[in-house]
Amino acid sequence: MTTEGLLGAAAAIAIGIATIAPGLGQGNAAARAMEAIARQPEASGDIRTTLIISLAFMEALTIYALLIAFLVLGKI
Amino acid sequence: MLASPAYASAAAEGAEHSGPLFSIFGLDVSSSTTSLWGIIVVLALVAYFASRKLERIPTRRLQIAMELALESILSFLTGVMGSEKKARQYFPVLASLFIIILFSNYSGLIPGFGHTPGLKAPTSTLSVTAGLAIVVFFATHYYGVKAHGIKYFKHFIQPIPFLLPINIIEEFVRPLSLSLRLYGNVYGEEMVIAGLFALLPLFLPLPMMFLGLLFGFIQALVFTMLASIYISTASAEHH
Repeated sequence: MTTEGLLGAAAAIAIGIATIAPGLGQGNAAARAMEAIARQPEASGDIRTTLIISLAFMEALTIYALLIAFLVLGKI
Repeated sequence: MLASPAYASAAAEGAEHSGPLFSIFGLDVSSSTTSLWGIIVVLALVAYFASRKLERIPTRRLQIAMELALESILSFLTGVMGSEKKARQYFPVLASLFIIILFSNYSGLIPGFGHTPGLKAPTSTLSVTAGLAIVVFFATHYYGVKAHGIKYFKHFIQPIPFLLPINIIEEFVRPLSLSLRLYGNVYGEEMVIAGLFALLPLFLPLPMMFLGLLFGFIQALVFTMLASIYISTASAEHH
């Protein structure tokens, strides 16, 4: 295997694995937020704000991996 | 970290014209700087013409649009910070951040941005987002000291003094994650659009560009929301 091939595979694996856990977490958070809105529609504004903040924190984990993938691709 | 060769090579790989265009007094001026200047000029002109002849009951469309936009930002900040008094107090810095980030994110969708020298979405450069995050970092501590005086620094040893290093690390991780989140989102989205464009220039990048409209707004919202939470916790009453 060439170095370029290994680097490309490393970038792909990095972003692939790093998408799994935040995806599960975001799905869980969104599902619970929808349940909460269905139970208490009058609190939907607060719930939406909190949901967006927590989604942003989870999103950051994937973004870190995306940056690493771009850094690795830049080495090719 | 910003000057590391790994980051520089990744940035150079992303855009063909990421190098400096020219330099003023030894400071290199890059495409993102000139685009940021352009956005500042456009925003300043709009603000000037909207506030030139202010009316108590607005009849001009520009003033009505501007008031509507600022009122909705104010009501959003009120919801996050708890009281309208507090939201009004920190409104100038937070609303300016929101507007400049929103326009910077959306500027990447204008045709020609990203591959013309002098035109590049400013927030797709880590230096710009790091600069915005550093503003938030210093604003947080400035407003904290302003609200509490020297007693503000007591919160670093608040639960137990043992946690001091962790609290200090937390303060420095905040601007890092703020800047990386914004940069990663905008840069990644631009890279995906460029990749799809290389595959098939017609129609294929469109869905991603619609997502880009959504993400650009949400990222500006998230940045402002986190900044307002940091500032409101720093200036909140301690027990």
